[in-house]
Amino acid sequence: MIKSEPEPTSKQPERKRQQVTSRQEPFVDKTATKLWYEKPSTDNPYISEQHYCHGYELKQLMAQCSYADVLYLLFRGELPDKGERRVFESLMIALMNPGPRHPATRAAMNLGVGKTDPLHILPASLQITSGKYKGAAEIAEISRFLRKSRRKTPKEVVDLYRNDLQQPEDSGVDSWSVIPGFGRSFGQAEIFPQSIVDEILAYGEELESVSWGNELAVELANYQVGWTMPGVAAAVLSDLGFQPKVAAGVFQMLCAPGLLAHGLEFANKPRTAMPYVTDDHYEIKTK
Amino acid sequence: MKSKQSDTAYWDQRRGRISSTTGGWVIGEGVFCHGYNMLDELLGEVSYFQLMFLSTLGHLPERRLADWVEATFMCLSWPDPRIWCNQVGALAGEARTTPASAVTAGVLASDSEMYGSRTFLEGMRFIQQACSQYRQGHSIEQIIEDELRKYRGKLNIMGYARPIAKGDERVVAIQRVTDKLEFDRGEHLTLAYAISDYLLERFGESMNIGGYASAFMSDQGYSPDDVYLLSTLCVSSGVMACYVEYRNRPVEDFLPLRCDDIDYQGVPLRELPEHWDRD
Repeated sequence: MIKSEPEPTSKQPERKRQQVTSRQEPFVDKTATKLWYEKPSTDNPYISEQHYCHGYELKQLMAQCSYADVLYLLFRGELPDKGERRVFESLMIALMNPGPRHPATRAAMNLGVGKTDPLHILPASLQITSGKYKGAAEIAEISRFLRKSRRKTPKEVVDLYRNDLQQPEDSGVDSWSVIPGFGRSFGQAEIFPQSIVDEILAYGEELESVSWGNELAVELANYQVGWTMPGVAAAVLSDLGFQPKVAAGVFQMLCAPGLLAHGLEFANKPRTAMPYVTDDHYEIKTK
Repeated sequence: MKSKQSDTAYWDQRRGRISSTTGGWVIGEGVFCHGYNMLDELLGEVSYFQLMFLSTLGHLPERRLADWVEATFMCLSWPDPRIWCNQVGALAGEARTTPASAVTAGVLASDSEMYGSRTFLEGMRFIQQACSQYRQGHSIEQIIEDELRKYRGKLNIMGYARPIAKGDERVVAIQRVTDKLEFDRGEHLTLAYAISDYLLERFGESMNIGGYASAFMSDQGYSPDDVYLLSTLCVSSGVMACYVEYRNRPVEDFLPLRCDDIDYQGVPLRELPEHWDRD
């Protein structure tokens, strides 16, 4: 099948070809990490003897810390103080299960009842948490918005967004994210995210973004707009010092247990264990 | 006592090196795949599905076989969000994920023992074993009885019957493609049709598209694993169709669920014990 170079035709004048060469970019010799050290065995350098997370020996962490402590350490580089631990652990519980009506959980249930390899339930459903709606896609933007907007009063922010805040006349118009971290679900402010904020603020810790956001939520109540769960997560993680991009990934990770649990709940059930829209309820519109 | 220093020569030779038997990019020379220069020899000369065979199995098939496999992809991916992998795509659209997240999640969903690519492993095992037994003189009835015993008399033969509906319109359609591309009917497909006739008579069930494709690809000399690999992405267009439809609609539009649409059947609601202290 090897062919000779095509001859240039009169219609297609020959162009100068740039010879393809390597850029010789200065790649490092070794991958570097600040967060984990594996001490090699003296006998075989491919085998590790001890593991260290940000300098702490793992078995010491196992003996003296909670899972939440070490998770915090892994991402933040330092162990949390007592207040940070309480807030972080509470957020972990709050986000543990997005609930059976969340798109990612519904996907997990479909994966389970559809007899997908159970090992795919978590990774595939987690991908659905990467979306903008009730997912991680806007966490980074919300974190940045909260940090930046704290310089203004909530009233000033409401004035800036006043046009967007009006309830759309058509309920089919999206208004689930009117202001980063705040919106409507099924036409009104969600109740549950607000209750999570109230719970966490009751601990009495200094949480600037959460407190400021809650003042904003009071202003927004007149517009039937309130906290979204990604908004709550972004505010709490921001106050705990998680960088915006890190917070987005941590949000996804914290949602994982519920997705897996709901998916596995259906893995051994027959496909009839979930509703299947019947043909007479399935309309195919022609253009 | 300190043990003798381990011999790590095997791993030392591979440390920081890749030795590919498939190919790669040689800057200034070209991109190679199983001995072919991709840009000079393959681009514009072979179809994408021929390249998929080459990349997956290491050989370039004749064009009509690649076209036939492409036709089966059309049979295995419909834009109906009630189908499980497509529903994952629709939910991804609702959740406003990226298209890559939607399609790869749908593809992962189809790695299922009930539908999609994984069913070829069992479908091809069955027809190849059945063909071997048939050659040795077993009757179709004996072959089916052996399979029925595995599931206490319940008909559960991959490639026959299907979820949701009885009968499979795709078998007639793909046979039309087989005839158009002038493939002969081999011994696996001949037996598969005979088994289908037997099951239809006895159980009212017949061969589905997976059973047909399993038999056809067996006649072409492929193994179950070959076809499992080749069909990995078979549902992607249907997943994408469902993703796009719901990405372009308002959120909370795809089968919205009220709280009471989820039927809680767990233990009754209860309080924590009085002495409970989370700290």
